[in-house]
Parts: sequence; structure tokens; C-alpha cells
Amino acid sequence: MNRTKRWYILLTGLTVLVFSLALLSYIQDRWQIPASSVLKVFNLSWDEHTSGEYTILVDEQGQVLDMMARRVYLNDEFIAADNWRYRVIRIEGNRAICHKLKLEQVSFSEAELTALADTEIPVQGRGNQTIGLYYTHDGESYVPTEGTENIPGKGGILRVGSVFAEKLRNLGLNIIDDKTSHAPHDDAAYRRSRRTAISLIKQGAAAIFDVHRDGVPDPDFYRQVINNQKVTKVRLVVGRQNQNMNSNLDYAKRIKAVADQRYPGLIQGIFIGSGSFNQDLSPRSMLLEVGTHTNSREEAERGVKLFADIVPPVLGSVSRPAAAQTASSSADWTSVLLIILAFAIGAGAYLFISAGSWDKALARLKQFSSIEWVNLMGWSRTGKQKFLGLLVRQSKRSQPGPLKTERSRDKERNGNAGNK
Amino acid sequence: MFMAGYTFGVIMVVIVFGLVFFGLAQRVLDRLYLNDKVALLLLVAMIAGSFINIPLSAGRVVSSINVGGAVIPLGLALYVLYRAGTAREIGRALLVAAVTAAVLYGIGLYTRGVGEPWDVNVLGLLDPLFYYPLVAGIVAYLVGRSRRAAFVGAILGVLVLDLADIVYYLNSGLRGTVSFGGAGIIDTTFLAAVVAVLLAEIIGEARERLQGGPKEAGHARSLLAGLRSPLAKPLPDKTEDNGGESEGE
Repeated sequence: MNRTKRWYILLTGLTVLVFSLALLSYIQDRWQIPASSVLKVFNLSWDEHTSGEYTILVDEQGQVLDMMARRVYLNDEFIAADNWRYRVIRIEGNRAICHKLKLEQVSFSEAELTALADTEIPVQGRGNQTIGLYYTHDGESYVPTEGTENIPGKGGILRVGSVFAEKLRNLGLNIIDDKTSHAPHDDAAYRRSRRTAISLIKQGAAAIFDVHRDGVPDPDFYRQVINNQKVTKVRLVVGRQNQNMNSNLDYAKRIKAVADQRYPGLIQGIFIGSGSFNQDLSPRSMLLEVGTHTNSREEAERGVKLFADIVPPVLGSVSRPAAAQTASSSADWTSVLLIILAFAIGAGAYLFISAGSWDKALARLKQFSSIEWVNLMGWSRTGKQKFLGLLVRQSKRSQPGPLKTERSRDKERNGNAGNK
Repeated sequence: MFMAGYTFGVIMVVIVFGLVFFGLAQRVLDRLYLNDKVALLLLVAMIAGSFINIPLSAGRVVSSINVGGAVIPLGLALYVLYRAGTAREIGRALLVAAVTAAVLYGIGLYTRGVGEPWDVNVLGLLDPLFYYPLVAGIVAYLVGRSRRAAFVGAILGVLVLDLADIVYYLNSGLRGTVSFGGAGIIDTTFLAAVVAVLLAEIIGEARERLQGGPKEAGHARSLLAGLRSPLAKPLPDKTEDNGGESEGE
């Protein structure tokens, strides 16, 4: 195929691709064709768990443990307000039956916890600690205040976030409150907010919070009276589909530990569910659910203000050099081991599939280790060995055999490099 | 700055994950008419480019394109298409992109307003971060039958979704930000491509193993010679490249 023809086909194809999809999306948006009418044709009926419905988590005796608007899956776990950890073992309709696992130990020692909770946060010296706030579902709103549960791009959750940011600033932290819109509220919201989250991290945020609200209809479920004021509780959500899960769960437990000490009842619990929630980006990344849509925004604002008080001691303890010695880092090391293990299992499985037997797989691995790095570092063909840019003269007499083999293999491999 | 306040363990998590991810990414680039060194160089360029955002538009709909997350991957996808041997292969790769984009857009429509993706059957089992590449990888394998088609399909597919977002914001009158590949090398765009290629590779290898070796019928004799004994393969003639349609090494 000649060059012009190739370019012609390529450009035509690309143009057609882009225009047809843009047109499709334009038509869909312009005429507001509901997705259901398109998709029902293919018998992809809506799941009964539409907005406004929710999951009730019950224990094996049928006692209600928790409620949340998100769908719950088998093996999701949660740590209830009383620190008992449960695992979802069965799902019946909108009820998730949970098995009691164990009483969680928070990571702090009693003495440390008391010291942390009692210490007044020094305003000076905290200014260099940067925290990032963002809103994946920026449309989330509070019905009693805003009249509706969703205002795309301008939800009440943004106002709650502003109050959170202001309080944190008053506590001496450096806050980046990123109100970038990630509308519409669909599965791609996290793809969009991922960019915001990474931009916060690039700006030096040591911790990031994704601020949400829940969708449980009963406003009393999230209501709490603390210091004689009506506030909403705050739920912490940890995604279990990412390598930072252990670190973030540990971080969530620290937050809960300090909160339980300072404002008992403020934390609704820690939910450990499907998804990643951009938590793969940072081991100090947390999703917050501040109240539910049937609470008033003012209640939520008061709740998040109290929550802000917890943040500096938790992050302060993280930044102290001594923190590296605490139990917290064992969770981090577990993450390291899990990543390495996952990689080893994945690579092993791939090797086995592609080679067909363990013997062949081992031979391949050997070949890989002998050729791959040599090729990367670049053996030269003049008897000189180039290693990380340094030229080292090789003595041909001392090790003629292996060098020759490596070089000739390398030569052949380079010859084939373009045609794998 | 970046790691301020993190314990050593946390830093190790980040470093180990980075090593694994970049190692895999390098293997993936290695499959795209590039040799090891160029693949490594591109990877470094993408990491550096992740810090550069080129603004495209301002005002109500702000848009920008990230060098590491979109410009280089897009360039690579175009290069792969350009190097493709036959019109049929270009067509297949573009078809993969179109189907990937359409499927992902369809999922977006389906989940719109329902709540979170986790609230919808099946989708809830996986984070979008994972089912994006899964869709791209499976579509690429079913439609394109090659790793290269998987790469092109994932990159173009996700970029087209961003384009659809711009259309959405322009139509709906909402303020919005569209940052093509905005999260740089760990943006969904490149992440989808890496996983899609690995997936296509694993599916390809597994299928080949199941059927007792690579399919030989219908392939040129020179390619089959290379397949049987890769080291004895003659220097590749660029214009004769089959564009990765043969799955075996």
C-alpha cells in the first residue's frame, strides 16, 4: 500500500469515526433521548436499584446494621460505628446479610490517642500541610434546602465543601478546594474526576477528600446531636479495588479513632466496597458521605465543620517521623507485598499460558533475564560493555564464552526488534 | 512537596506500584513497532509530559490536552495505524475504536442519573477504571484480533468519550472541564491501552495454547519461518510487516 493511499484511508477513517460519534452524542443530548428507551430495546432493563432506593445491611439475626444508597456486593465489608467489622455474605433483594467478623482495633495506642485528641492544634507550623478537596458528583444536593436532589454542576455539596475548606483553613492547613465540574452523574464521573484528583496531588496535596452525600431517604439515619447542635454524620468509604486499600483503610480507622474520641457518634462507619474511587492515586485519599439528600444542607455544613477538626491531628500524626514506627505502616507494607504478589502471580500465569509448560516457562524466564537487560543497557559490538552510560572495557580473554553468546544473541534480537 | 508527610511504607507502595505499572507499560509499548529503547524513551517522555497541559479552550467549557496522557498516546496510536500493513487492518483498528467508544458511551448513558456505576447490575463489580480497559481489550480481541488494534482502540475510544463530554457541556449549557488525558500517564486513556493490550495478549496466547499452537494457514511463508524459529528470522522488511495480525512470536 503506498503512502498517500495509507494516509488517505487513515484520515478518512478517523474523521468518520470522530464525526459519527460526536453526532450521536449531539443527537442524544439535543433531543434528550432517555437512555432507557434506547437500551430497553436490547433488553438491558434497569436494575431495580434506582435513585432513592437503598440497601439495608442486616446481621444474620435480621437486625438492621446500616443503610446506604449504594449497591452492596458480596464480600463488601464495613466497620460499624461500634468498631465491629462485618462482611456481606448474602444478598436478598435490597437487604445485604452480614456476618460479624471481629472487633477492629484502631491503630493508635490509648496513650497516643488521648494525646492526639487532647492536644490543641497549633496554628503555626501546619500551613505547609496541603489538603485537596474535590467533588466527583458535583450535582449532589440536599432536598430540604435546595428543593431537589441533583443540580448538575452546582449542587449543594459544593457549598458543604466550601464550609469544610474554610474550617480547615482556619485550622492552619493549606487547602486547595477544586470545584471542577464532573457532570453528568454517570459512570464516567470518576474518569473525569481522576484528572482533578491527580492535579491536586501534583499541586502537593498530602491528602485528598472526595466530598459526597448519601441517598438514604430517612433523614434521621444520618442525624446526630453533638454539642447541642443538630449535625449530620459522616461516612468514610474505602474502595477495595486498588493497591492502596490497606493504607487507606488504616487511614480511615485513624480518622474514626480520633473522631470517636473527640466527637463520639460523628462517624457513621467505614464502608469498604467495590470500586476504586481514585484511591489508587494516593494512600491518603478518602471518600466522604456527608449526610443524605433528605438532610438540610445546614446540618451537613455543621457536620463537616466538626469533621474538619479531626483532620489536622490525623494528618499531623501521619507526618511526624515517629509515625513510621507505628503500627500504621504495617498496612502499608501489606500493600507493598500484595502488589508484588499480584504481579508475580500475573506474570507467572502469563508465562505458563504462553509457554505451555513450567519447563518452557522457566526457560523463557531465563532467556528473558539474560537477554532483556543486556539489550536495554546496550552491549556494544566492539568488546566494550556499556552499562548505564559508562563504557567499561571488557577483557576478552577472561570471559570469552558468555560474552560472545550474549553479544550474538543481542545482535540477533536487535535485528528482530521491529517485528515482534 | 509530592510526598510530604508520607511514611516510608506509603512511599514504598507508590514506588513498587510505579515500577510494576511502568514495567508493564514498557512491555506494551514494546509490542507496537517500537524497540526496547524507543519504548523506554517514550515512557520517560510520557512521565515528563504528564506535567504539561496544553490549554485548548477557556470560558464555560474549559478544555486542555495533557502531553503525557493524550498527545503522546494519540501520536503513538496514529503511528501504529500509519504503520499498519493493510487497509483492512486500519479499518479493523478504527472499528475497534468506534465500538469501544460506543460501548463505553452506552454504559455512560445507561448509568446516567441512576446513581453511581456501583448501583447498576454487573458494572458494580468493577470500577470504571477497570472495565474501560476490559471493554477495549475484549472488543479489540473480538473485532481487531490484535494487540495493536487493542492499543489504538483503547486510546481513540477513550479520547472520543472526552470529545462527547465537550459536546455534552456545549449542549447542556453547564460549565465543565474536559482535560484529554488529564491525569497523564495514569489517566484512564493510557491505562486502558496498557491493560487492553495485555488482555488481548493473554486471550491470544491462551486461545493459541488451547488450539495447540498458532494458526498457520493463510499466513505468508516468511512469517511462518519466523514463527517457528524467531532467532533465525531475517531482518524485517518494514513494508511487508503484517501489522501484528499474527499473534504468536
